Amino acid sequence: MSAVATARDRLPGAATPPPATGNRPRRRYSRTGRILLYVTLSALLLVFVAPMLWALSGSFKPRGDLFEYPPNLIPSPATLDNYRNLLDSQPFWSWFAISVLTAAAATAVAVFVCALAGFAFAKYRFAGKRLLFSVMFSSLSVPFAVILVPLFVLVVKSGLSNPWFALTVPWVAPAFGIFMMQQYIIQSIPDEILESARMDGASEFGIFLRVVLPLLRPSLGALAVWQFLQSYNSFMWPLVLISNTENYTLPLGLNILFKAEARQFDLVLPGAVLASVPTILVFLLLRKQLLEGLSAGAVKG
Amino acid sequence: MTTLQDAPPRRRRQLAPYAFIAPFYVLYALFMVVPIGAAVYLSLTEWVGLGTPEFVGLRNFADLAGDTSFHKALGNSLVFVFVSVLIVVPAALLIAQALNTRGLRARDLFRVTFFLPMVISPIVIALVYTLVFDRQYGLLNSVLRALFGAGNTDWLGDPTMVKVSIGFVLLWRWVGYLTIFFLAALQAVPRERYEAAELDGAGLIRTFTAVTLPAIRPVTAFVVVTSFIGSAQLFDEVYLITGGGPGEETVTVAMFVYRAAFERQQFGYAAAAGLVLFVIVFGVSQILNRVLSIGRIS
Repeated sequence: MSAVATARDRLPGAATPPPATGNRPRRRYSRTGRILLYVTLSALLLVFVAPMLWALSGSFKPRGDLFEYPPNLIPSPATLDNYRNLLDSQPFWSWFAISVLTAAAATAVAVFVCALAGFAFAKYRFAGKRLLFSVMFSSLSVPFAVILVPLFVLVVKSGLSNPWFALTVPWVAPAFGIFMMQQYIIQSIPDEILESARMDGASEFGIFLRVVLPLLRPSLGALAVWQFLQSYNSFMWPLVLISNTENYTLPLGLNILFKAEARQFDLVLPGAVLASVPTILVFLLLRKQLLEGLSAGAVKG
Repeated sequence: MTTLQDAPPRRRRQLAPYAFIAPFYVLYALFMVVPIGAAVYLSLTEWVGLGTPEFVGLRNFADLAGDTSFHKALGNSLVFVFVSVLIVVPAALLIAQALNTRGLRARDLFRVTFFLPMVISPIVIALVYTLVFDRQYGLLNSVLRALFGAGNTDWLGDPTMVKVSIGFVLLWRWVGYLTIFFLAALQAVPRERYEAAELDGAGLIRTFTAVTLPAIRPVTAFVVVTSFIGSAQLFDEVYLITGGGPGEETVTVAMFVYRAAFERQQFGYAAAAGLVLFVIVFGVSQILNRVLSIGRIS
């Protein structure tokens, strides 16, 4: 169907009526309408990427050129000095490592916990299921600001403020992930597979590990990317928790440069680019799973 | 005592789901229920972070009720909630509708690009928009000057414009994320329903209200609740871009909590303000969930 439509769009004479096959609806948009649509969408596209391209281009400009007028998108002369200065003068890779490692740890725990709970909610009947599910779901509407102060106090008082532990804590049990997994399991794992595994004498946890998890792979990927991004980009919790500059995460390190007296744009811009490149790459590589995985749960639910 | 392993298969099957959801509830109790309980306790005390908290009853709440800064923060958060629910959500639906046009080329390019801001760190977004909104050297004023010869708006310094600017950042950041939910929902609407509406001679608007809206109701509910919860606790963008300024024009409730606790060491007062936000957000979203019937399991 879409192939037909595409071929039709390419015809020079737009007035040519589409072939009148029985159940195909009439065209709803005129040619001008279509042009208008593409123009609008492209303008939006520009609005979306312009600020990012501006920052990218700025990271290659000598400090003085950053605020030249009229603004110039192509840096001339282009230089790598900003990147060199950043990497020489700041512990950028240490920030990066702490962010990546804590995010990876939080993601691993969260994905496992969510898949396990999602499986239980999707495939078992048990007393109290309804209530437990709505308790779980309602945790989505707890604003982090209410937990911020007491969690900080508890973590510090109990001596658990070790950044490696404390940075992962708020991200390990996301209700959204359980909801997503539960929806996905209902849709994609037939009861018969579980039954036949039971016949073969598999334990319930064995079924989860060896039957369910492999079938879940695409949506596990989606959830993992999403969780990773949440933690890698998180700002408020590290901001209150980390006071020792040696343990700074990437956003905190960039924030220090950003908030510095002279607004060190020539250092922050390359840092921002280096911080964003991995997330954008991972997102582009897994975009299909992520976008479909995110929306599938909400749509069918 | 029999363990799960020794139990007969039937019994194991009955116990398994509880074992499977247990890790979540343990974490939930430790990192959500306990902190909220601690927040209730702290909110009834006065505490600077050292020594023993001093019990003061409901005084913190009484102080909040008379604190103009807190009222201001509530008002600002309300503004951003309205921006999200009344501007960002409809904009996302509109974009989704456009992307759902039959035979649209490069749909994936648009969808993915619009989503991009969601994967970028708030600190990077703040940096980018500081460069865009700067009064003298910003990209926006430069472009306006070049195009219209007039670009002297103080985007982040004017009490009204700053809300518009932050509102735009929220739109830019969230709209692509919300669009994918709407787009998925629109794509799931059976084509026959549109054809039937067309046969009945329904126009664009009638088709939208009679066919599209009822079909996407569950997703709309989810999106509205999500954006409400997200915008009500807005912190990163305002803290990083404006620092709450000018004056207190962009101080949100979450930022009020942060300032009280970590700049003024009023932990009890901050906990009380956090609880007020919690009661409002939790209450409103429970009502929305009930009214729009989401978050239930059959």
